[in-house]
Amino acid sequence: MNKKWNRVKTFLSKPYNILLILLLVTLTYLVVLPLFSIIRDTFIVHASEKSRIKQAVGSFTLYHWIRAFNSSFSKILIWEPLWHSVYTSVLACVVAILIGGGFAWLVTRTDLLWKNGLTKLFIFPYIMPSWTLALAWRNFFKNAVVGGAPGIFTALTGITIPNWFAYGPFPIIITTGLHYAPFAYILIGGVLRNMDANLEEAAIILQTTKARMFTRITIPMVMPAVMSTIILVFSSAMSSFAVPQFLGLPVRYYVLTTEMYSTIQGTNPGVGYIIAILMIVISVGIMMVNQHMIGTRKSYATVTGKSANISLFHLKGARLPVSTIICALVLCMSLIPMISFVLQSLILTDGNYSLSNMTLDFWIGLSKGGNDYQDKAGILRNADVWKTLFNSLRLSVTCALGAGTLGFLAGYAIVRRRGSLISRTVENLTFIPYLIPSMAFSAIYLSMFSQQRAFIPSLYGTFAILALIGTIKYLPMASRSGVNSMLQLSPEIEEAGVIMGVPWIRRMTQIIIPIEKSTIVSGYLLPFVSCMRELSLFVILVTANNRVLTTLLFFYDEKGWAQYGNAINLLIIFIVLLVNFVVEKLTGASIEKGVGGK
Amino acid sequence: MPRIRLQNITKQFAKGSRAVDRLNLVIEDSDFVSLLGPSGCGKTTTLRMIAGLETPTEGEIFFDDKCVFSAEKGINISPDKRNVGFLFQNYALWPHMTVRRNIAFGLENMKWEKGKIESRVQEICETMRIAEYIDRYPAELSGGQQQRVAIARTLAPNPRVLLMDEPLSNLDAKLRNDMRAELKRLHLTTGATFIYVTHDQSEAMTLSSKICLMKQGVLQQYCPPLTLYGSPRNLFCADFMGNPTMNFLPCEAQEGKDGITLTTGVFRLRFNPNTPLRLEGKKQLVLGIRPEFVKIVEEEGIESRVVSSLPTGMDTVLALEAGGITLSAVAFGSVDYAMDSAVRFGFEGDRYLLFDAETTEQLAMGSLAIE
Repeated sequence: MNKKWNRVKTFLSKPYNILLILLLVTLTYLVVLPLFSIIRDTFIVHASEKSRIKQAVGSFTLYHWIRAFNSSFSKILIWEPLWHSVYTSVLACVVAILIGGGFAWLVTRTDLLWKNGLTKLFIFPYIMPSWTLALAWRNFFKNAVVGGAPGIFTALTGITIPNWFAYGPFPIIITTGLHYAPFAYILIGGVLRNMDANLEEAAIILQTTKARMFTRITIPMVMPAVMSTIILVFSSAMSSFAVPQFLGLPVRYYVLTTEMYSTIQGTNPGVGYIIAILMIVISVGIMMVNQHMIGTRKSYATVTGKSANISLFHLKGARLPVSTIICALVLCMSLIPMISFVLQSLILTDGNYSLSNMTLDFWIGLSKGGNDYQDKAGILRNADVWKTLFNSLRLSVTCALGAGTLGFLAGYAIVRRRGSLISRTVENLTFIPYLIPSMAFSAIYLSMFSQQRAFIPSLYGTFAILALIGTIKYLPMASRSGVNSMLQLSPEIEEAGVIMGVPWIRRMTQIIIPIEKSTIVSGYLLPFVSCMRELSLFVILVTANNRVLTTLLFFYDEKGWAQYGNAINLLIIFIVLLVNFVVEKLTGASIEKGVGGK
Repeated sequence: MPRIRLQNITKQFAKGSRAVDRLNLVIEDSDFVSLLGPSGCGKTTTLRMIAGLETPTEGEIFFDDKCVFSAEKGINISPDKRNVGFLFQNYALWPHMTVRRNIAFGLENMKWEKGKIESRVQEICETMRIAEYIDRYPAELSGGQQQRVAIARTLAPNPRVLLMDEPLSNLDAKLRNDMRAELKRLHLTTGATFIYVTHDQSEAMTLSSKICLMKQGVLQQYCPPLTLYGSPRNLFCADFMGNPTMNFLPCEAQEGKDGITLTTGVFRLRFNPNTPLRLEGKKQLVLGIRPEFVKIVEEEGIESRVVSSLPTGMDTVLALEAGGITLSAVAFGSVDYAMDSAVRFGFEGDRYLLFDAETTEQLAMGSLAIE
């Protein structure tokens, strides 16, 4: 008995053991329990379903599952959105890889002009919120067919845009693909740049033709990067909400996320929860495929050679035309959307882009007393907007502090007890939120926290629920970087302090934290930026009380107040770019470098 | 097999540094030439220019009488048309192909018949003793095995010239010795011209028929290894070759009737050149003595103290201190000397070297006596 008690005492005398236990309990409650909660939610009657199911709220029912998979509605509730999701995601991957990979090849292997400027601009879409290109597309190409005024393109040329070009799968694929093309460029370009030039030189010496070299040496070498791009783009596109909402809804083109949103907000949340589970299953499936592919026989570890100066492929006569086309494409992805937002936020009457129709009212105009869009105060003078902006910043700071601190401590404790069961369990728990698509995750939290649970009151509509979900959702980012950096720090450094009898708190504040300063800072910054431009994680959790900028944009857009929407969008982009700039100046680390790290 | 001629080859990199400076070199048919020098001396660049992977800034390169590169005439035949084989330092095996595919790839490019490719792959794998690994991926092979695959891939198309860029530097010491012997045998059986880049002087000594020693892009000496060792042209060559390194004694010279009197520290030595030498007023010289020419003697000679004694079993390297000067010496056989014990040494034979301290050029070879 005494022996056991001593063991427990020894176990608890190590701070990292206490940390692990605390994390285990917290994460079980915030990550594992909700998963069960959402499964339970697919079997009970919710308040909004009372009239259609005709059973007491909270009682057991199979209604949702039957309706989802075995009724005349399954096609429009599940199968069609699923097919749309898969279809647009797959084609978005193709677009991202062709554009991003092609650009990577042009930049690293040819004598393309203006490389420096082009690569900087090409990264641009990735820093911006994911719906930027979709909104810009709509500004340019919207037509009068589904109502409203035509967009900039029609105003300039007089050509009417057909529906398939303005809305639905085609623009969703293009804008999603372009948004993730920078990612393909970063990954594939990294391989092309670091690939041992000797591998290609060896092929040249052995009389390999250019075409054969490309298909047999270069392409296979970048295949792993292509695969990880596909995995990432596919899962991001699957869980993207804003793009299909902005571009799909006008023609009633639903994907899983938008269908989930409308069912959860509408009269049948139970089916929404089923869709959330479906999305989690797909996401886990993709991860498993990814894991499986990593463990193959061929190792692509690049042995660095000594000659990096591989001769560039000369575009010759095509140099100027190709460079110009690329330049135009890059501008379309980066600067031109901005111009469209500015224009759209200035015009009085939709569809008229003449100077006489422009006003700064939507930015700085005074309220005329009413609350419709013509007589609302401009966003810079609107108390509501300022309150929302403040709320956004407060939320981002909270999530960043929460995820960053938790992630760092988790990294520390996991590495110190590496190999033990508890360490592995906690490591896996911190990773689970990464596997769950944002919107499915918020559906889980909605089901879990919209009612009182033990001592926790209902959190629906509060700041706390947003802070909680943001912290947990961004935890994988922070804990990954925490684990990686702690792995590189040898335990001897802390042990030297232990031998001299320095207490744990002092070891952390005086030794570990100063050494790991830069990682900790980036552990805070990444969640901050992600939180600032997050929409799908918050959209079903906000009410008028706890609104953030992104959901305000969404709200204005739903109301059809395009000018305010565009102005808010510019505000968000401005903040994101500002933060990104400050981060880069302060730490030298940039978001685009961070995205590669898993 | 061709004769390779480099004429006034210069390579200037963009940043203004000259990697290779006006290099003239003739590599005879079936030679085994080593390009030797410290890192950054331009040896790899030279090799890559011969292969066509790097473009010289100036000069001409000929394979036999055919010009493959000329800056003046604007000729630059691409690497794949020069019929050379190239062995990379890191092997550069394609990780996504099996051993068989790696070797067959080049032969397919050269439009060999299928059957011929198969038999050639089999044959070369047997020669290189890698036949049992033929269906493995490079990542599944050890360093030595990867090295053999790389050699097999390079040799499979029977290149007339084999260019090698420090191919043994990634192997451990024992494997390196085995591979040296193997390379020498391959040179004999293939009859190809071998050009070999290394920074390891003993590798160059043991392998090559001729060594081209370079320093900062400039050719220092181009001759058979033993000539380079025995009669280095300047202090750099003398210092670079040999381990332990040559002893250098700065001294003051006085021309006398029977030879030159050299004063170094407390010692006065008489140097007898093998061929007549006029000092023409030069006073500051450097005497070069290989450790093996510092002979341990029973009596007479200079008395010295043993500072260190490092026996390997085959020989013993000694550091001897006398009159403020420290010399390294080699005693052959299994002998050991107690630290701080007294030994006597003398000079014998006519392989002692005299250098000009100012120009560092070698002036003469001769015999040495204590005065």
